[in-house]
Amino acid sequence: MAEELRSQQMYGLRVHELKLGATREEGGSRSKVFKIGNQAAMPFLFKEGEIPYAPIIAAEVYDVPDDDWPQSLAEDLKGVSKNPVDWAAMMAEDAGADLVCLKLQGIHPDFGDKNSKDAGSLATALLKRVKTPLIILGCGQGDKDNEVLPYVSEVTKGERLLFGCVVQENYKTLTAACIADGHNIIAESPIDVNIAKQLNILISDIGMPQDRIAINPTIGALGYGLEYAYSIMERARSAALSGDKMLAMPFICFVGQEAWRAKEARVSEAESPLWGNARERGVMWEAMTAIAMLQAGADILTMRHPKAIKIVKAAIAELMKR
Amino acid sequence: MNKYTVTFYPENKKVEVERGTTILSAAISAHIHLNSACGGDGVCGRCKVVVKSGTVHSETSGKITCEERKLGVYLACQALIESNIEVEIPAESRLDLGNLSKEELELRLRDVYSKAEDITQAMPSLGAALFSHAPLVTKFCFQLPKPNFDDKISDLERVYRAVEDKIGEKPIQTGLSNIRHLGELLRASDWKITVAVSQKGPVAEIVSIEPQDRSDKNYGFAFDIGTTTISAQLVDLNKQKILGTKAAYNRQATFGSDVISRIVYSKAQDGLEKLHHAVIDVANEMIETFTEEHGIDLNDVTAVSVAGNTTMIHLLLRVDPTYIRQEPYVPTANYFPAVKAAEAGIKINPHGLLFCLSGVASYVGADITAGVVACDIHQSKDLSLLIDIGTNGEIALGYSDWIISCAASAGPAFEGSGMSSGLRATRGAIQEVRIKPGSFDVEYVTIGGDKPRGICGSGYIDLICELFKHGILDKNGKLNREIKSKRLRNGSLGHEFVVVFEKESGIDADIVITDSDLDNLKRAKAAIYSGIAILVRHMDIDFKDIKKIFIAGGFGTSLNIESAVGIGLIPDVDRHKYIFVGNSSLAGARQALLSCQASLTSDEVAKNITYFELSTDPEYMDEYMAAMFFPHTDIKRFPSVKYV
Repeated sequence: MAEELRSQQMYGLRVHELKLGATREEGGSRSKVFKIGNQAAMPFLFKEGEIPYAPIIAAEVYDVPDDDWPQSLAEDLKGVSKNPVDWAAMMAEDAGADLVCLKLQGIHPDFGDKNSKDAGSLATALLKRVKTPLIILGCGQGDKDNEVLPYVSEVTKGERLLFGCVVQENYKTLTAACIADGHNIIAESPIDVNIAKQLNILISDIGMPQDRIAINPTIGALGYGLEYAYSIMERARSAALSGDKMLAMPFICFVGQEAWRAKEARVSEAESPLWGNARERGVMWEAMTAIAMLQAGADILTMRHPKAIKIVKAAIAELMKR
Repeated sequence: MNKYTVTFYPENKKVEVERGTTILSAAISAHIHLNSACGGDGVCGRCKVVVKSGTVHSETSGKITCEERKLGVYLACQALIESNIEVEIPAESRLDLGNLSKEELELRLRDVYSKAEDITQAMPSLGAALFSHAPLVTKFCFQLPKPNFDDKISDLERVYRAVEDKIGEKPIQTGLSNIRHLGELLRASDWKITVAVSQKGPVAEIVSIEPQDRSDKNYGFAFDIGTTTISAQLVDLNKQKILGTKAAYNRQATFGSDVISRIVYSKAQDGLEKLHHAVIDVANEMIETFTEEHGIDLNDVTAVSVAGNTTMIHLLLRVDPTYIRQEPYVPTANYFPAVKAAEAGIKINPHGLLFCLSGVASYVGADITAGVVACDIHQSKDLSLLIDIGTNGEIALGYSDWIISCAASAGPAFEGSGMSSGLRATRGAIQEVRIKPGSFDVEYVTIGGDKPRGICGSGYIDLICELFKHGILDKNGKLNREIKSKRLRNGSLGHEFVVVFEKESGIDADIVITDSDLDNLKRAKAAIYSGIAILVRHMDIDFKDIKKIFIAGGFGTSLNIESAVGIGLIPDVDRHKYIFVGNSSLAGARQALLSCQASLTSDEVAKNITYFELSTDPEYMDEYMAAMFFPHTDIKRFPSVKYV
């Protein structure tokens, strides 16, 4: 009670609570659902206020295989990387990921140019195979995303998934689809707290409830601007807790894609003997980036390597001990 | 070198130029003025001409469509002449250099001082009695005693003695040209002479000595040299009376629309010379027209006082402005001594003086000093804010104890420059806009009631606000593509909203606002608002602590305050605090002309204004990004703004 009083003195607002996944009773088909956000404190500072939910990890799954993977990813995900459904199942069931983040890279005109039907049936297949909610990402090319994602949103209607990403220059189409189909949305801003807030206002203005928005603040991997992302997230979160509703959204951080782009995660031991075991190095690079983002306030991490996921899951369990 | 003849139509003017000269340079040589907002960099696309015959060489430009290219349309600044050519200049590429219309003059120059009575009542602190009447140059008539054996001091000492009797003991000086023929002049006029004296400095300067009594005829000019517009007032220095006000375009616009592109141009061959002449030509023409209209002898014009931004003052005096735009942004001078007007090329009495008001820094010039003095901020007990909305948005905040200022580079968007249908506040410019709900039909008011030719700053502000009210724009300033209306469409420069269709307009085109125009306007308003916000934040005060807000600038009198607040250009405070002062720079220049005290005060004020450099302030970028939203990212700052 005393703690609660003190927290109310300290912060006037909680982060919005975002629900991921809908059960059969709620009109979906997920047997596993999550809530994130709703904290009244800075990350893991339990004395400041209540932190009801632990951060969750989504496994990054691609609809088309990536030929340019570093050795450790290529070998450790060898069996599944060509089949997104198996890949998702393996990550959710064996690797311990809480949910699955499907990136529809293959719809990009330069990487396969798949159509709405392809994407829609893949999403449905994934939903059939895994029990968890999905995060569904477009390819980043505005026009194509606007064509495909609303369709995917429609065929997954009622499942309360998380779609992304919308940006300031292109947010209306996907947001409107998500509003109509009961999904959540990811708002992406280029490491800028003002733009993050502006985009949240724009999305809310067209009718998206504030508790169905997640902020992608754009991060950099360890050694690649991580501290910049950290300070932006810290600033946004502290503004949110101090009363700014338009910044009081949970954060999603795309750790896997950033960490595995780092030279340190990719270079082989033969090329750089002093850097040591390449397999472990990549895994650690991803885990370190993820843990720093947890400290910055991430509510959802997307990650790639099963081992890194295990390390970070353990860290979350430790951090969540009061 | 091969020389070629260029013939310009419809003037049928011919000019001979060297091979490889641009059409723009040739036009300048032929005294034909083309629009050239970017200063000849080929990026503004405003100097389109049609080559009827002959050969030119030009790189392809995104500003010229394929169809235009087939018709022989080129950018004058990019087309190099390679043979004798004939060039047709379309009306829209022409820089309209005529004097401004009467309506426009009234609009721009209806400043506080031309309506002295009204203002004296409303704002006693701005009354004419602010400074004692002591013109920069005063004429005295003397009947000197003839020399004799008891009183045989020299002729010059005799004149000095008479002046000293009049103005009190003070060192006196004069130029050699006044002395050379003094002996003859005194005797021929039977020792009755008129002496014009400038008393501003510690040393009194005898400006001129004339035969007989001409002391009742003493005139001066006050000038505001703006980047876009030059305004002038003819003042009777004895009677403290304004005889007339005129404004004309600054012909330097041919060499670039903002100070930076002009400074760049000054480095071109004869660039500084051309810029200098462009401005003094306009000033001299204005002086000439004025004196002719009022039957005044040029010799009776003894003083000119000038306010303007630092770059304009440098160019007027033909001082190299280069270092203004190089870090750490230091001008050659902020304070210029009084000079002979003739030395600067200004044609008044050959001995007449030119006084430039003092500037503060490279980007906060004498115009803001003049504005501060005219609004009496330096003596005010009330915390005041002066916002001069021009190409360089200058902002001053303070009161009698301190004044801080900054320059927010807003760009020329609010002056209609660099916009797809932009127009300066001239006849036919749309200055008020209302949009009807449902149909999105547009009602507008133009300056002079003419057929619309474009949109000026106040029109844009109104337009943005209306577009919001009807959901046509989102808060990021993007047109809503989902609205079905004949007015919303995809244009060559992205999405656009048609304000006036061609059949209604006074030009051969639709008048539109595009996504990129909206971007320009958003940047301009963000620059001005964030400049204000930074000053307020740095002085650790609140907007509501400010008691008076003076709005100066080109659209000062026709600005819809609700719309300006609505788009987040100016702070959302009690509307009663806003005071429109029109051209405060011209008002300050006139005060300095009429009172040495005002002139000295402005020097003092300039020294006491603290210049705040925004570009090195770590918080500025954050404020700017927060202001890049309509009305603002932090909506709590605009509580009265409600969009539907």
